[in-house]
Amino acid sequence: MITKKRGLKSYIGEILMLGICVIFFIPFYYLIVNTFKPAREATVSPMSLPIKNFTLDLYKEALRMINFWSSFRNSLLITIISVIIIIVFGSMAAYVITRHKNKLTRFLFFYFLIGFMVPAQTTLIPLFNLMSRLKLQNSVLGMVVLYSSWCNFAIFMYQGFLGGVPKDLEEAALIDGANLWKMFWYIVFPLLKSVTITIIIFDVMWIWNDFMMPYLFISSSSNFTLIMEVYKGAGQFANNWTVMLCTMVIVLAPITIFYLFMQKYIIAGITSGAVKG
Amino acid sequence: MKVKLKKELPYIGFVLPAFLVYTVLTMIPLVQTLGLAFTNWDGYSMSNLKFNGLENFKSVFSDRSMKNALLNTCFYSLIFPVVTTIFAIPLSLALNSRMRTKNLQRAVFFFPSVPSAIILGYLWAYILAPTSNGLLNKFLGLFGIDPVLWLAIPGWAMFSIFIVNLWSAVGWHACIYLAQLQSIPVEYYEAAIVDGASAWQKFRYITFPMLASAMTVSVLLLLLNSLKLFDLPFALTDGGPGTSTTMISQIIIKTGFVEKSYGKATAMSVIFFIFIVIISMVQLKLMKKREVE
Repeated sequence: MITKKRGLKSYIGEILMLGICVIFFIPFYYLIVNTFKPAREATVSPMSLPIKNFTLDLYKEALRMINFWSSFRNSLLITIISVIIIIVFGSMAAYVITRHKNKLTRFLFFYFLIGFMVPAQTTLIPLFNLMSRLKLQNSVLGMVVLYSSWCNFAIFMYQGFLGGVPKDLEEAALIDGANLWKMFWYIVFPLLKSVTITIIIFDVMWIWNDFMMPYLFISSSSNFTLIMEVYKGAGQFANNWTVMLCTMVIVLAPITIFYLFMQKYIIAGITSGAVKG
Repeated sequence: MKVKLKKELPYIGFVLPAFLVYTVLTMIPLVQTLGLAFTNWDGYSMSNLKFNGLENFKSVFSDRSMKNALLNTCFYSLIFPVVTTIFAIPLSLALNSRMRTKNLQRAVFFFPSVPSAIILGYLWAYILAPTSNGLLNKFLGLFGIDPVLWLAIPGWAMFSIFIVNLWSAVGWHACIYLAQLQSIPVEYYEAAIVDGASAWQKFRYITFPMLASAMTVSVLLLLLNSLKLFDLPFALTDGGPGTSTTMISQIIIKTGFVEKSYGKATAMSVIFFIFIVIISMVQLKLMKKREVE
């Protein structure tokens, strides 16, 4: 009797939750359905399914207006190269900070910690000055350099994780005469796989979605990232809102695909980061 | 000494790359900001620098839009973390129950944190629009409610940013709690049931205290994100109407990069930095204390 009652209760609970899910998803439904309808129909009935007058013309127009391939390539290059640099620099530094404890590395730990309290906005003006002096402003390379300095997040993730990795293998390898470089990349780094995946996911999402840096540091449209195309479109398509929606869908697609593939790791990553944190 | 240095060299080589990029791109600009805020820097040459004391800070506090931005950010960072936590914990409890569709639900609630806030801002600007494509006003119209100018009335504009941000952040933060929930030993609840504890008592005396460390992380992240909030108001309201939704980050960028008032912008950056240091210190202290208890 009791179990049956509880069963009914949880059944109602599940339906309620699914209802909230539907409400949560409405903005994305609205975004997608209106990209397949002629503008007039979208304005009159924004919630209807695009069955009667299904069209792909808006996507064609959006792709004609934005520099998709060039921006996609820039976003991809910037994200991949800076994440690789962050992983390489971050894991190496974290390894020395956790395993080779002395006065200097203890100082470095706090030195890298300060970065968490420095909002990007605080350093922007001198940074802009520096970047233009180095001729790195308005370039894909410059963006990579900028994002590489986000390595302190990786250092802390690795530092927390390394605490739980046994040292025996490393010590054995060092006694056998392996040098630090080889020992780290062949023995230690493979053990850091799970935290590396977490860092990759976070950094890919942050860098891919970042707007402030390209907004301030990139001026010519050949160096635009995908997010900048949305920003540009907001001015350009002011009178053509469904084409703007298409642009948003196009820009949203790559990161959504990434999310769908990495979903399992994302939730695991948040949890590991949180519990360690 | 020489032998020791030679032994140290590979280790130094390992930290050097990270040290260099971080120092050049974060620490040196930070120190420069802290210094330049007290000078008459024009943004280009360092040769005619003159120390001018608190001049820049005075101009910050005599500027109404700057004061407004400070107040907006303070207000937002005070309320947003609390409200999001109030929604995230029950959501994590719901997602932790044994529902058949729980994986689908987790994916749906998490998804709004995947797109860039710029995209979310522009998308919601359409949904909240007073024109005929504005979904929300159309929906309210079904009940005979006149269209509300969500983004054109100061109070509603702030409210809209708040709600959109809540919508996009709550699932992510529920995930943080979800992880911790799964690590609470079942025995605790079994013992509580034996003692005849009610559902509320179980939450109050087992679940809630056990969530303390997740809460430290989640609230700190929420706090830092609301202090730094830039993309969402930029796309949704562009700080308007007037300066009613202009946040600190936006005003720094506006004064520094558009108006080119470098002194004012660096002074504001210093205030912002001090603000963040104090708040995160206080928050961490308070939260750690709760964790120990």
